[in-house]
Amino acid sequence: MTAFVVRRLGFAVITLWAVLTLVFFIVRVVPGDPAQVVLGDQATADAIAAMRVRLGLDRPLAVQYFEFLWGALRGDWGTSLVTGRPVLLEVTEVLPWTIELTLAALLIGAVIGIPLGVWAAVNRNRIPDYVTRLASLLGLSFPAFVSGILLLIVFSIQLRWFPVISAQSDSVWAWLRSLALPAFNLGLIMAAYITRVARSAMLEVLSEDFVRTARAKGVPWRAVVWRHALRNALIPVITIVGLYLGVLIGNSVLTEIVFNRPGLGKLIVGALNQRDYTMLQGMMVIYTLVVIVVNLLTDLAYGAADPRVKLK
Amino acid sequence: MRRIAALAALGAAVTFGAMAPAQAQQTTLRVGIASADAGVLDPHLNSSTPGRGFLQWIFNGLVRIKPGELSPEFMEADLAERWESSADGKTWTFHLRQGVQCHGGFGEFTAEDAVFSLNRAATRDTSSFSSDYVAFDRVEAVDRYTVRITLKENIPSLLGAVMNYAGGFQVCKAAVEQLGNEGFRRRPIGTGPFAFAEYVPQQYGRLVANDQYFRGKPQIREVMYRFIPSDAARDLAFQAGELDMIYGRQDQTWFTRTQQLPNVRVIAMQPAEMSVIHLNMTMPPLDDIRVRQAIAHAINRDQIVQLRGPNTSVTALSVVPRGYLGHNPNAPLLPPDIARARALLAEAGHPNGITIRAIHTTLPGMMSVMEGIQAQLRRAGITLEITPVEHATFHQQIRQNLSQVVHFQAARFPVADVYLTQFFHSRSIVGTPTAVTNFSHCRVADAEIDAARGETDRDRAIALWRTAQDKIVREVCAVPVYEQMQLWAYRTNLDLGYELKASLNLAPPLLETTRFTR
Repeated sequence: MTAFVVRRLGFAVITLWAVLTLVFFIVRVVPGDPAQVVLGDQATADAIAAMRVRLGLDRPLAVQYFEFLWGALRGDWGTSLVTGRPVLLEVTEVLPWTIELTLAALLIGAVIGIPLGVWAAVNRNRIPDYVTRLASLLGLSFPAFVSGILLLIVFSIQLRWFPVISAQSDSVWAWLRSLALPAFNLGLIMAAYITRVARSAMLEVLSEDFVRTARAKGVPWRAVVWRHALRNALIPVITIVGLYLGVLIGNSVLTEIVFNRPGLGKLIVGALNQRDYTMLQGMMVIYTLVVIVVNLLTDLAYGAADPRVKLK
Repeated sequence: MRRIAALAALGAAVTFGAMAPAQAQQTTLRVGIASADAGVLDPHLNSSTPGRGFLQWIFNGLVRIKPGELSPEFMEADLAERWESSADGKTWTFHLRQGVQCHGGFGEFTAEDAVFSLNRAATRDTSSFSSDYVAFDRVEAVDRYTVRITLKENIPSLLGAVMNYAGGFQVCKAAVEQLGNEGFRRRPIGTGPFAFAEYVPQQYGRLVANDQYFRGKPQIREVMYRFIPSDAARDLAFQAGELDMIYGRQDQTWFTRTQQLPNVRVIAMQPAEMSVIHLNMTMPPLDDIRVRQAIAHAINRDQIVQLRGPNTSVTALSVVPRGYLGHNPNAPLLPPDIARARALLAEAGHPNGITIRAIHTTLPGMMSVMEGIQAQLRRAGITLEITPVEHATFHQQIRQNLSQVVHFQAARFPVADVYLTQFFHSRSIVGTPTAVTNFSHCRVADAEIDAARGETDRDRAIALWRTAQDKIVREVCAVPVYEQMQLWAYRTNLDLGYELKASLNLAPPLLETTRFTR
């Protein structure tokens, strides 16, 4: 187990370096000048050139690259080219918002998706199954920004249950109210994925011999489904949760914009629009780390869900 | 029964408790702006709409344009009580108010601060607006409350360079020196009615009332400036009562819909951003004036205004927008005439039409106009191929002289010189070291633009600017299309304290008298 974790961490370092190198060069290949963005459209060519010197963009790429790597090794991600604030500060200020939204969405997705998937599998080719499949298809096809606006119109404008600006944390109640709609919006997407995977995994497990044996031994149907079958069906569900956590963070961009929440997604879109190279690099470190950590945790979770799985 | 009574009492307490604060006088103004962030919080660097809107409430100029107005004719005192200039217009003396305090205990604002601030605005490394100060010879403090500016040559509006706009915003020397430029950008210190309190990236900037403000204690006690890039989310937050004032989506549908909301005032204010099609006169076939004239005849400005919406835009009359000092309302623009356009093309040796190319931003508001123009040109046999690129790429590539046709939309300081110099003077041709935004490579009016800059007689300067516009229009360096107004909406219980017709900083000014009426 320890050897497994150490080996995975070793791979993680190599992956991180590869991603940082790619990002460093790709953002500089994309047209668009951060100095122009900082100075606006009235700046003269001279002033833009002076700003490029001030931002250090006039130096050879190799110098910039090694300086960036050396800074990253020391935990110094530089300052935003646009706002002048430290990248680490900007990222850590919004990171908790993204984490809480993602975890809440994951929780909602699991709470809705697993029981629905099991219910659909148990009632295969009957009305509950059709309804569940249709609902999950709708969940997958509905763009997050459309469902977000609809939720706001119904629950914030008509019913006035939740705030439109979902970035309040004055009290626990205000925090929960402001988290509810965006988490539900994102959670619905997750629920759609989980429902479909849970359904197919359960269908497979329910047709296996040990289920028939358990039934023959007189184990109640409810116990067979929820205790014996579901545990065996969880591995694909865990896989999908791990895989889609990255997707969820990506999807959170639209949710963050519609619900006016701060977050990594919104930060990265802003950095891209403004060609804020240092900010983009810092964001990529975070994204890569998140994906690596989530994959590692997913692998570890297999062992917890199924004792037969050995991590070597 | 007792439980029911207790619950009823609790319900009443909650209800009336909740009602009490709702009836109290509102003193926090909540503003929603269409942006994910305000950018760098330095008035000498930030030229973005969300940034300027926010910073104008923190900083003063030596002078200001009367709140709600646009024309420099409404110039009035701000940090300076009065001012005078020498007969030749090259020496200006400003007498400052006494006792004006910088925010955060950084002391009194004196002539030393004004000198520091103007020199900072004129320095390339610390200012986006340094080119506005090239005519400054020296700025000096005559005494604690007197500032003297000496010019190398006359400029059309010295007051424009020292007003509460762009480089004219006055910063406090002690604050910049103590915090450093980087620190100052995180904690801007000015002398305005509101002091910087907090900045949460992607969420909001918060200002608090400056009780030491020299014009009196502001009645609004706090300003929450929220960054909401989604038009729909901003509208919904306004509708739900979570915002008191919002920046509008720049189209007719938004205007009409928002106007129908109860207790809401919608304003279409100046300065308008003028939409202009610049034609690169060095690239064939646009190097032939007959081809440029054909394009001008093919574009129907009134139709484009119908497309944009009559409440939000007006037809352009010249290459300098309305309301700017020196605007020429009678510029000889060519009327829409498809037959004439076709005839001109044939005369120029293109009987089967031409194909021209434009690199264009993907911003939807500008793209829809360009597609409208594309359809109009097609009727005259002109094929306009549009290459859509992301906005930052657009700005870089049009400055690299890569586009035959450039559609640009901008508002500037309302004196004709600024627009004419930046867009039509040969010094500003893209691809040169002094380049700004002359995309057409136009150079026909250099003499008039330069002469007007040095002219001390206002009427003669205006005549020269009008002649320059005539020449540019006749040469068809560019085709002005429409002027897009700035749209804002706010609740009718918000009394701004002045009539809002315009704001040079593109957001309504907040005064010490701005308040909620109920």
